[in-house]
Amino acid sequence: MQALLSYDQSPPLSAPLRFFLTAPLFLVLAGALGVLEGEALFASRWTPAALAATHLVTAGFMLQIMVGALIQILPVLAGANLARPRLIAGIVHPGLALGALALALGFLQSAPGWLHAAGVLLGGSLTVFIGAAGLAIFRVPSTSPSIRGLKLSVIGLAVTVASGLFMLLALAGGWAVPLMPLADLHAAWGLGGWAGILLAAVAYVVVPMFQLTPGYPAKPAWRFPLLLMAALLLWSLAWAVSAEALQRLAQAALAVGGLLFVGQTMKLQAARRRARPDSTFRYWQGALYASLLALLMLLASAVHPPLAGVPAWMGVFGVLILLAGLSAFIIGMLYKIVPFLLWLHLQPLARPGKPVPPMNKLLADKDGLGQWRLYLAALLLAVAAAIRPDWLAVPAGLCLMATAGWLWWNLAAGTRNYRRARLTAVSA
Amino acid sequence: MTIREFMSDDHRHCDDLFALAEQAAADGSLTRARSSFGNFQMAMLRHFLGEEQTLFPAFEERTGMRMGPTQVMRMEHEQMRELMVAAVDALAQDDAESFLGQLETLLIMMQQHNMKEENVLYPMCDQQLAAEQDSLIERLQGDLQTA
Ligand SMILES: [Fe+2]
Repeated sequence: MQALLSYDQSPPLSAPLRFFLTAPLFLVLAGALGVLEGEALFASRWTPAALAATHLVTAGFMLQIMVGALIQILPVLAGANLARPRLIAGIVHPGLALGALALALGFLQSAPGWLHAAGVLLGGSLTVFIGAAGLAIFRVPSTSPSIRGLKLSVIGLAVTVASGLFMLLALAGGWAVPLMPLADLHAAWGLGGWAGILLAAVAYVVVPMFQLTPGYPAKPAWRFPLLLMAALLLWSLAWAVSAEALQRLAQAALAVGGLLFVGQTMKLQAARRRARPDSTFRYWQGALYASLLALLMLLASAVHPPLAGVPAWMGVFGVLILLAGLSAFIIGMLYKIVPFLLWLHLQPLARPGKPVPPMNKLLADKDGLGQWRLYLAALLLAVAAAIRPDWLAVPAGLCLMATAGWLWWNLAAGTRNYRRARLTAVSA
Repeated sequence: MTIREFMSDDHRHCDDLFALAEQAAADGSLTRARSSFGNFQMAMLRHFLGEEQTLFPAFEERTGMRMGPTQVMRMEHEQMRELMVAAVDALAQDDAESFLGQLETLLIMMQQHNMKEENVLYPMCDQQLAAEQDSLIERLQGDLQTA
């Protein structure tokens, strides 16, 4: 217990930072895929380009940042110390980054070799991460909705990885098993059980703290992760017994649960007492509206399944939930976590009368705001490209590449400013 | 009332004062910002003092841990004291931008510090100091009011 409050025990800067610095490059690659394969990308969810792009965004971008951030914030959020953070990061980071690349290549070229490599890299590194994070978090009693959420999200990740690995083996081996229902289940666990529950667990703490809003009401906050989990178990059961009506019920429950959380968060954001909208706030605001739309679409297609077959329906849904929703929440968090971490790690070098540069000198918020505006343009273009890929996939892809590159540049510049400040402090 | 509840309430009180100071500066009223930031700083310093002179010594006495969590919390108090001084300096130079920048750093520093206290240290205090809980809270009440 006392270890977590000691500065020496907090993970080295490089442990989370390496994930943050490589992740945006995967978003650049997803944009490049939009430029090169735009029409195929939006033609159906199941084209090689669509599968590759989806996983560049989810496994390459979102997952990397979530893993890096968890290594950093598990101790603060839950008092759960990750053992050997440096070693864990050293194993998980290359595994995840190379695994996501191999996965995208495997899909694009329908190449069993790459798919197998992706399975080994992603399966291996994520098993290490799930083991380490699980060991840390399940030792801590669930004294807050946030801790309960963290535990359930790790389970969600485990199910996502297991189902993903099974499908990889089936794809690479050419097994004659129907993969589409399982792919839906895999996506539901990954986006709802892992990303969604994790987002809520983090939001419970950071929204009131950093936006100075009232807290989330306790009862719904405790129940929300359980509701999502129950819906996912129901979906899994429906898959196992091939019961379509049950699957639709589970999908509707998942959507309603998500809508309640989004609605609650919007209500809290409206009561915020921070003076100025910063880039984190803008990202979260955009992500909340996008999630609202995406979850309404999810609900509508559960009630009336033919909707999912409407041209562009799935493309628009994918852009809204992945890029405009979850990824935007994640980028918003980055703009708080990264400058603070850089500042925190400069602290030991501060001398009386020689303070280290403040956060906004390490990573200026106006850079984040500019990058957000271009991100918003990329989102609007991507939604439009889902409808008219032949015209708009190229500009949408270029715009995504530019804004993701800008995100990378902002984070890298922050790191450079950190190094410079370190050198100045050491040589002074 | 537990130590955790009592001290967490005071954290929320400091949050309220922080919000007022930031609002004032963002509205362009540096005079109002000076006085509200003064109130905030006062409340924070009293809170630190209550911890450093009353709560932490009692905890250290009871557990024998002098270089443990309380030491880290003292160090973070020091960092926050410096951030508050830097913010006051910025106000003295009528530099609203730099003031707001310092506030941003201060807010995150303060919130992650409070989170560690509320989730870990205060519950440990409640556990270890159950016998003297009431008298400690009374003394803390005194620290927060006078100082
Ligand atoms: Fe404190």
